Amino acid sequence: MRRIQSVAIANRGEVAVRIIHACRELGIRTVLLHSEADQGTRAYRMADTRICIGPAPTNESYLSIERCVNGALAGKADAVHPGFGFLSENANFAEAVLDAGLIFVGPKPASIRAVGDKIAAKKTIAQAKAPSVPGYMGDDQRIETLVEEAAKIGFPVIVKAAAGGGGRGMKVIRSREEAVEQIASAQREGLAAFGSAIVFLEKYLDHAKHIEFQIFGDSGGEVSYLFERECTVQRRHQKIIEEALSPVLTPELRRAMGETAVRLAQSADYQGAGTVEFLLQDDQFYFLEMNTRLQVEHPVTEMVLGVDLVKAQILNAAHEFRVWPQETLVAHGHAIEARIYAENPYAGGIPSTGKVLGMEWPEGPGRRFETGIEAGDEVTPYYDSMIAKVIVWDETRLRAIKKMKATLAESLVLGVHTNIPLVREMMSHPEFIQGTMTTQFVGSHFPDGLRARERSPVEIEFQNRASNSEFGASSGQAVESRRAAPNVWISSRAWSNV
Amino acid sequence: MKKIEIEINGQRMFGAVAKAGETTWFSLAGEVWTIESPPSGRAARGATNVAGVDPTQVRAPMPGKIIKVVSTVGSTVIAGETLIVMEAMKMEYTLKAAVTGEVLEILCEVGQQVTLGATLAKLKV
Repeated sequence: MRRIQSVAIANRGEVAVRIIHACRELGIRTVLLHSEADQGTRAYRMADTRICIGPAPTNESYLSIERCVNGALAGKADAVHPGFGFLSENANFAEAVLDAGLIFVGPKPASIRAVGDKIAAKKTIAQAKAPSVPGYMGDDQRIETLVEEAAKIGFPVIVKAAAGGGGRGMKVIRSREEAVEQIASAQREGLAAFGSAIVFLEKYLDHAKHIEFQIFGDSGGEVSYLFERECTVQRRHQKIIEEALSPVLTPELRRAMGETAVRLAQSADYQGAGTVEFLLQDDQFYFLEMNTRLQVEHPVTEMVLGVDLVKAQILNAAHEFRVWPQETLVAHGHAIEARIYAENPYAGGIPSTGKVLGMEWPEGPGRRFETGIEAGDEVTPYYDSMIAKVIVWDETRLRAIKKMKATLAESLVLGVHTNIPLVREMMSHPEFIQGTMTTQFVGSHFPDGLRARERSPVEIEFQNRASNSEFGASSGQAVESRRAAPNVWISSRAWSNV
Repeated sequence: MKKIEIEINGQRMFGAVAKAGETTWFSLAGEVWTIESPPSGRAARGATNVAGVDPTQVRAPMPGKIIKVVSTVGSTVIAGETLIVMEAMKMEYTLKAAVTGEVLEILCEVGQQVTLGATLAKLKV
């Protein structure tokens, strides 16, 4: 197998930047395959070669197998890194990359099909005698059949896009009355995001924890598990806070789950980075799905183990890597990641788009920031709303929580709203601090995000002085602000956290 | 963006301010808020829409694409009933009737890209 000298990145945003960092450290040239909408992004500015693969809509650019492969060839890349989302778990894409004579940084197409497709993976894990959640994964995808099957399983039932991930195309059905609407919605989201409307159903566990195991397989057939991440804090099945390790796993449970994950990977002849997701309820674990790619939350694993998963992926694709032997893997300290979404937590989490006027991340020991945009860039409505990840490491979980709170308090994004205030509140919640939260955490405690609050007297004073300083004492803006200040409690609309 | 250091009641505090169009952004000690400064007499677009002053006007709460129009002109809808489904940032958002009434007008169609605050439907109580 030849050495990899250049890698095409079929992705965008912070993961494109992450891959560029890894390539640079390995002395590898980068070819960024980007849409027209992503010319004003950090990855675009960083990449060695840039190939525009189409307009903003994902099905004409990042989801087009042909355009991505042609782009990689045009950029004279040796290999393609798919990142996460988009085509990263698409076996046809992996195959097209190989057929074009390029190296795919990821598992073989056959492995993706065996464990990546959620329906096939459920069959695989049943053969491996691992527990799975009761459900329906039939080929009959008629809506009447799906509604009947949902009723048979017993509500609440979750409907999921078979090709999905990242919370898209997933809906909870609480009663028969809402079954048709929710199933149809999941089918549409699956079609829009992944190009497939196939869904499956399963029993919705209502006080479970989301625990996933990072696994890595090398080209020599060895597979190790790199322990777990707990990603229980989710909203609409979109993860918000992830940590390594989980505060609740016993060593016995950890080993049992890790070994199950490895068995699954081995049964599919799996190579590269992958993640096996489980739900844990009442000390029983249930296989959820396997993601045949890098995960958004991979940094927390890297922080507690002192490894670089992206470099390992690339080296492994070039057959220059031996996986870390299981017995040498020891976790140190605790890492937490917060996903920063461009959304307004004071308005039910509605997406926020626009030009980023200012962005600052406070550096410090054990702090890591991953972002694909910088001040001056535009957050567009075309793609996922995650604009950054804040990761902290400290010696204990409590210290890591405190570090995250302090870090977020000094983080600054102006021009689009972010969920930073919401994450700070979550970090202070007793259930999170105790580590006893379940996947109901957000729905129970923050169902509508945060309640808009009035500005404090200190904030009003700051606002007045800032207005004066920015626009001059004579500007109408400053005068208006001063005049409005005593009435701020009533005239909340003009002052609202829009 | 301009960073501003102020001292209030003897305590030093760090903040920032930035302006984009009619919106001024403020940040102090980790809190971010905006103030709209519309030309006098006209309410700020974004603010109006989020505060939902007129419950008979169904407005786009964000820029995005219309993917489904559930209701039809002339039909009766009850408060909480789904009217329109939008997509933005790869997520679906369901716009529901704020009041019970009749659908007067539908001002959008499936596949259309709409801007923040655009009126998508009108109801009559």
